Amino acid sequence: MKLSINQSRKLWWAISAAAIITGIAAMLISWQQIGAPLRPSLDFVGGTRLQLERDCTQPNNCAQPIDITAVREVLAAQGLSNSSIQILGQEQQGISIRTSTLDVEQRTQLQDALSQRIGAFAPQSTQIDTVGPTIGRQLLSSGLLALIVSFGGIIVYISLRFQLDFAVFAITALLHDVFVTAGVFAILGLVWSVEVDSLFIVALLTITGFSVNDTVVIYDRIREILKVNPDRSISEIVDDAVNQTLARSINTTLTTMLALFAIFLFGGETLKNFALALIIGFICGAYSSIFIASTLLSWWRERNGQRLATQSTAVIDSPPEDT
Amino acid sequence: MQRQRSLLALIVVLAIAAIVAIARIPIPLGLDLQGGSQLTIQVQPTAEIPQITDRELEAVQRVIENRINGLGVSEPVVQTVGQDQILVQLPGVSNPEQAERVLGGTAQLEFRTQRPGTEAQLFAEQQVRLGLLAKQQELRATNNTTEIQQNQEAIERSNAAIAQLFESTNPPLTGRNLEDAYGQPTQAPNNWEVGIRFDSPGAELFAQLTRDLAGTGRSIGIFLDNELISAPTVGPQFAQTGITGGSAVITGRFTAQEANDLAIQLRGGALPVPVEIVENRTVGATLGRDSIQRSIYAGIGGLILVLIFMVVYYRVPGIIADLSLCVYALLTWASFALLGVTLTLPGIAGFILSIGMAVDANVLIFERTREELRAGKSLYRSVESGFYRAFSSILDSNVTTWIACAALFWLGAGLVRGFALTLALGIAVSMFTAITCSRTLMFIAISLPSLRKPELYCPNLPTVRRAEVAR
Repeated sequence: MKLSINQSRKLWWAISAAAIITGIAAMLISWQQIGAPLRPSLDFVGGTRLQLERDCTQPNNCAQPIDITAVREVLAAQGLSNSSIQILGQEQQGISIRTSTLDVEQRTQLQDALSQRIGAFAPQSTQIDTVGPTIGRQLLSSGLLALIVSFGGIIVYISLRFQLDFAVFAITALLHDVFVTAGVFAILGLVWSVEVDSLFIVALLTITGFSVNDTVVIYDRIREILKVNPDRSISEIVDDAVNQTLARSINTTLTTMLALFAIFLFGGETLKNFALALIIGFICGAYSSIFIASTLLSWWRERNGQRLATQSTAVIDSPPEDT
Repeated sequence: MQRQRSLLALIVVLAIAAIVAIARIPIPLGLDLQGGSQLTIQVQPTAEIPQITDRELEAVQRVIENRINGLGVSEPVVQTVGQDQILVQLPGVSNPEQAERVLGGTAQLEFRTQRPGTEAQLFAEQQVRLGLLAKQQELRATNNTTEIQQNQEAIERSNAAIAQLFESTNPPLTGRNLEDAYGQPTQAPNNWEVGIRFDSPGAELFAQLTRDLAGTGRSIGIFLDNELISAPTVGPQFAQTGITGGSAVITGRFTAQEANDLAIQLRGGALPVPVEIVENRTVGATLGRDSIQRSIYAGIGGLILVLIFMVVYYRVPGIIADLSLCVYALLTWASFALLGVTLTLPGIAGFILSIGMAVDANVLIFERTREELRAGKSLYRSVESGFYRAFSSILDSNVTTWIACAALFWLGAGLVRGFALTLALGIAVSMFTAITCSRTLMFIAISLPSLRKPELYCPNLPTVRRAEVAR
């Protein structure tokens, strides 16, 4: 089987454009509804999240599931009625409450009021996250800065190792992956109130690395074929390069997916959305390397009618004899 | 062949060393895994101190350390972050309310006079306190929380008893009046003293205080947050006027470090900068344990799936890849232990992901080997060029991931850095194992006659070619 990706490249571009436009539309709707393109967690906007679990070693403490209206009443009495509440666990013995930023006095007061009404909580299973608004903005800006810096670094590296147009299209593919992933999370945020936290930015950066990684492997092969057959048409060369690296692209994505699905299924709450973002991003990364970065490159070089002699930074000759 | 043998020996030695390192050096767990409280404290500038410098931050850090030590938590960590923040980690604390109350608020430094007739009592109490503090040091190493707590209460009683022996001046001489404190060497070698300087109301109060105490044998009690940090006496020569001019030195057999430490404490107490807790991340111990268990399942589950996939798809090279993946996992884990990486939940995720990267290097090589085999090359040549030609792809793809990791490491904070570090380390080790371990094992495999069958390396080779290869 041979894949002629350049034949139907308009189709691939259309698919990607549709995915990106859907994502941007979701972000715009989200912007109107909650004032941010993605639903930000307290990492970025500040706030307090309290996760409490009843202490089931005490007699009769866990007889009933936690009643969400009781929790709501307690919060209303504390003047925190616009908080979001979630009941956790199969036995419904845990609660997660997100409020505006509380200081220590307000928080202890809330905790005391809750345990009076609902039952004693186990301190060993408590989780408290409080982030002040300033530090939230700081986390967001340093995360975005990290993204921009790594984009810059990658452009420079690929321009040095390959050529500038390679780098530009690698970054295009990468932005494609980042946008699609963000778009999916915008939709998830609208539909299931999925939030993005600082781990989401980490996921985007990791996607950046892996996506370029996929692209680079194909580019590497294009460069190699170009060097041996500088007179062949660029479309053919790109098609060949993609086909020759296809098994690798699929297998690597597959093995990484195995690891990621393991994290997604067993890795605990904190890592679930992180793994999900990576799964979406890596699948996009494999797709965009094969169908976007390569086809854009051949389109560009065809349009400019260049028979580009490649830089000979990598020596691809026959290997030395090993004894 | 000789080279392969010595490389194999090297790999075996490294693997054994890695096992020893893993067994000997425990990897410290982050607070999200062992449970505990992490507080970020923001030092706020005021009209008097518009800019927080390193000197001020250091002084505030010392004040925070003093207060943390008063909490009786085992192995607390206090470190500065950036320009104006201090990070406090309290392992095992799942109700940080007490810590939050103690840590907020400005430091209270006060110079008090010792009550008459309490000299012997002060000496005795100080001995008791020294004993308790020494005991606390020992206890901290044992992690015995209840005993630490009990001993801490004893220390507090002792502190209170000592504070009873002193009285405030009228009006009180506090840190507000202290302009500066600094360690300086004396004329005698290896002997240091602490210079202090007061503003003019402070100078007057200090002169009065020292005149009262001069030559009596009673001490000035310097209290930071109600805890006695120094009790210097005043020489009889000041009995007439007291120490005037607002400057004084505290002498004693100070080393440079002790003098600086006291000076920093004094400066911290003199600082009118308020501090605020801007971030609190607390994870209960049970939750942490849950996370570890789950991530171990995730890691092992992922690894096993990958190992099975490799053998099924790549056959003999797959087995070799699996072996080198195991070596990879050992070496990476050992490098975490040796470099003192603190393991966090995102860190574990980074490690599991790096397994994916390690597989990628092998996949690149084996796919290349297959291509060469299909192109009709001999088994040896195919393996050789598989490694050789895949290398530039491996290098390029790893460097780009490193760039992303570097950006994360320099600009990220806390948990994010842990992830970047483990992923970057993992990739470095994976390059090493792919080009040494996989390579060596592969050449050893093709040197064994029973394994020298191309179909074990690439299924569905065209028969004509197979005949050629066998020839």
